[in-house]
Amino acid sequence: MFNVNPQTQKKLDRFRKIKLGYYSFIVLSSILALLAAAELLVNSRALVVQYEDTLYFPTYSDFHPGTDFGLDYTYETNYRDLATHFKQTQSSNWVLMPMVPYNPYENDATNAIMRPEAPNSDRQHYLGTDTTSRDILARLVYGTRTALLFAFAFMASVYFIGIVIGCAMGYFGGLFDLGFQRIIEIWSNIPFLYMVIIVFSVIPAEASIPARISLLLLVMVLFSWTSMTYYMRTETYKEKSRDYVAAARIIGASTRRIIFTHILPNVLSTLVTFMPFTIVSAIAAITALDFLGFGLPVPTPSLGELLKQGTANLRTAPWIVTSAFGTLVLILSLVTFIGEAIRESFDPKQFTLYR
Amino acid sequence: MTMNRFALTLTTLFLVGCGSEKDASDALPVIDNTAEVLAFYDAHADFFRERSIEELPENLVWEDGADLPEVGSADAKKGGTEYVRLADFPRTLRTVGPDSNGSFRPWILDNTSMAMAHRHPETLDYFPGLALRWAVDTGSKSVFVELDPKATWSDGVPITADDYRFTFWFYRTRYITAPWYNNWYESQYTGITKYSDHLISISIPELKPDTDSKVLELRPLPQHFYKEVGEDFLERYQWRFAPTSAAYILKDEDLKKGRSVRLTRDQNWWAADKKHWRYRFNVDHVNLTVIRDNAKVFEAFKRGDIDQFGLDLAEFWYEKLPETDPDVAAGYIEKKWFFNERPRPPYGLWINTHQGLLADQNIRLGIQHATHWQLVIDQFFRGDYSRLKTANDGYGPYSHPDIKARDFDIERAMAYFQAAGFNQRGPDGILERGDGTRLAFTVSSGYESLKDVLTILKEEAAKAGLEFRVEVLDATAGWKKVQEKQHDIHFSAFGYSLELYPRFWETFHSDNAYDKAFLDNGAVNPDRKPKPQTNNLETLAIQQMDESIIQYRAESNGDAMVALAHQMSELHHEFASFVPGFYSGFFRTGHWRWIRYPSNFSYKHASGSREYFVHWVDQDIKAETLAAKDSGTTFPPQIKVFDQYRETP
Repeated sequence: MFNVNPQTQKKLDRFRKIKLGYYSFIVLSSILALLAAAELLVNSRALVVQYEDTLYFPTYSDFHPGTDFGLDYTYETNYRDLATHFKQTQSSNWVLMPMVPYNPYENDATNAIMRPEAPNSDRQHYLGTDTTSRDILARLVYGTRTALLFAFAFMASVYFIGIVIGCAMGYFGGLFDLGFQRIIEIWSNIPFLYMVIIVFSVIPAEASIPARISLLLLVMVLFSWTSMTYYMRTETYKEKSRDYVAAARIIGASTRRIIFTHILPNVLSTLVTFMPFTIVSAIAAITALDFLGFGLPVPTPSLGELLKQGTANLRTAPWIVTSAFGTLVLILSLVTFIGEAIRESFDPKQFTLYR
Repeated sequence: MTMNRFALTLTTLFLVGCGSEKDASDALPVIDNTAEVLAFYDAHADFFRERSIEELPENLVWEDGADLPEVGSADAKKGGTEYVRLADFPRTLRTVGPDSNGSFRPWILDNTSMAMAHRHPETLDYFPGLALRWAVDTGSKSVFVELDPKATWSDGVPITADDYRFTFWFYRTRYITAPWYNNWYESQYTGITKYSDHLISISIPELKPDTDSKVLELRPLPQHFYKEVGEDFLERYQWRFAPTSAAYILKDEDLKKGRSVRLTRDQNWWAADKKHWRYRFNVDHVNLTVIRDNAKVFEAFKRGDIDQFGLDLAEFWYEKLPETDPDVAAGYIEKKWFFNERPRPPYGLWINTHQGLLADQNIRLGIQHATHWQLVIDQFFRGDYSRLKTANDGYGPYSHPDIKARDFDIERAMAYFQAAGFNQRGPDGILERGDGTRLAFTVSSGYESLKDVLTILKEEAAKAGLEFRVEVLDATAGWKKVQEKQHDIHFSAFGYSLELYPRFWETFHSDNAYDKAFLDNGAVNPDRKPKPQTNNLETLAIQQMDESIIQYRAESNGDAMVALAHQMSELHHEFASFVPGFYSGFFRTGHWRWIRYPSNFSYKHASGSREYFVHWVDQDIKAETLAAKDSGTTFPPQIKVFDQYRETP
């Protein structure tokens, strides 16, 4: 099927043997897969509606006004009510709701009073509700999805920029290296938090939520890539002076070939070691920014916002903080375990006589 | 000599370099503005007048408010220490100029210092403060005041007519960097006349039903303390505590920068035995500690580290401190709910009618019907709050008796939106116009704590095909946005002080909406630009409104003013640029058992339980309660609702 290089195959086998990391990887992948399909699991829109012999699949479609299903309103159908309506009228129509039939925005107050309510499986609030009676599980799922997506995008961008510039500095050296070092020194002294605050104060309110998140990502990447270049630069410098690089150069290998096939794989272990920490810090950063009120716009679900609510209601609604904190601990531990295992198995030094 | 000078310079340098800011201001060269002040009096001789006592008009009708009931209770005991939370450490001890209008100022000015007379919180009539008696002379549009000769500043210097004259100079100088004060004292008063050290009269440009209030509520400033006011006023007075007419003074050693402030009851306070004042300001020390986070404040209160906690929010009254709370059930903490009657802060949506689509009345009417305030009131505020009717509720006869805010009604909202051309729902259910424009507006606010209100409104508005983009800013940024008229729709309120009748000019006059709203021929100026830094948040410019406002400002007859106020409220309602939100017709407090209040708890027109300082700390009860807490003894729970002034909706 795949034509895997035997070296790589060896590394993968080693990774598989590190049980903690391997299982963490499987768990995290499943979580990611579930989150990708979150709309099918946690949603106020029904999965399937059968009405007058037609099947509707509202999950990913345009909204269906209540009038589509014989109700008397033109706004988005409340599918939970529709289900009870069908049951009461004993019609042959039916509704199939997702496992958690709530979206992260709607207020579902029992007894018409909005307040945090404890987990209750009868009402299908499996983790309870927050201070304005919104489902915590729904907010958690969508909040985590954003945070993870953000973290992976952040890591990819930071690594790309860091590797390119760091490698170039290390490999070419000289004036280029000297010049870029100074630029980086100046750049990394701009306080990141202030920049976020300043940039966020000038974003027009019309900007959509994805646009805001991308902008936040951009600002964070702009001020985070510098630290990566230091490691890359020193590693490249070190590797460049090794005999195998000299040998490659004598054979007549091109610069590109030397960097990509000889140097990069050898510095990979350093990179990989940092990966989990980068992801962890990205999740922590966006959570912290949210906690401080500079992250995602109201009412976007987020871990930071839940943590904030949780700490403010520690006594009366401990389930808010437990859910948010538990999720953070789970995700961050998984990422750390995987990172450890990757580092362990991908370290080329295992097979060399150096060191 | 040279040596001496060198030593002096060194000392100064040392003080400037190493001392705190206070030391630094002490080290500034002493200046004396007396000559400058006198020159100003001379240059404005028609404003700063001096007359002999024989020239006092005859037939003045003197009032002294002596018959008004006492404020506070005769049972009050002096002594003890009250522990209070401060949201932020004061950035200055000045009471005027930049950064001075913070949460600390009421402790040294607004709620504690004395004016010539004060409105009685039960009857709204004036009881004497620094004045002995006063008389309104309609002919000269002046109020004559005889000052209490016993009155002194906290440093023992008598308070005299010269302090009042100086006050006008002070608030009119540019040194204080306070344009609002400059403008107010230049435009709202036409002169001050000194008849003797303890007899003055102050004139105002127009007579009003509450002419006396303009004068009687003035608070003098100690001229001897402010004689160094000059170019460097802001720095020089940054950390100097001014001699005060109030019961509480601040000693230098009680100011712990960034952490706490301790106020001490002045044992030589001149008004300690004066009627209306003697049963107030009972606590010997007020310890104000900075605790920023509200959740933490509540924990501190539960530990007994602070003595009182506001329970206005439903989550505190019902969830965090319910009747079943062990400390409440055991009677250690008492809960009080007091209904009051006063001008209501107009919480609601202020629509900027200058912004594109919002200029269309149909859109505004649609928005009125698409905002579900009743749901917010019923479910979020648990029915405790009430629906606001107009932007000027709570002014007695001046508030419109019949106008009601428009109800949430999806059908009617959509009919209005349709009339404005929005007749189709897009793929997400938000209405669209033929050209693809979506019916979406930004709702901004500086109220972080009320962001959930906007979220609820957003969810409900979507049912009527209207999208609210919620933008929650921090308080300063939010206010800046509306002051620059950059908002679409803003959720906010004004803090109204206790006044007899509402003001309209600030919020509704076209002068505050545009640089030049109308051309000379009366037509709308096509090039007009919104005017920043005014309270006309709706950019409302209606000629008819302008005319009524001018009449209202010049009118001295109460009934005519009521009629005009109603007419303007109706016009405002029709224009539909303000969506009335909610008001709270009460305040709620939780306090430890040793904090005692008069039997009626508070006053009809009070805004909060601590406003008039009628409570006291009973040290015996404190000892008893703390002992009972240790031994597990309980007392009958005290949860009281005072609803004699409750408004029927």
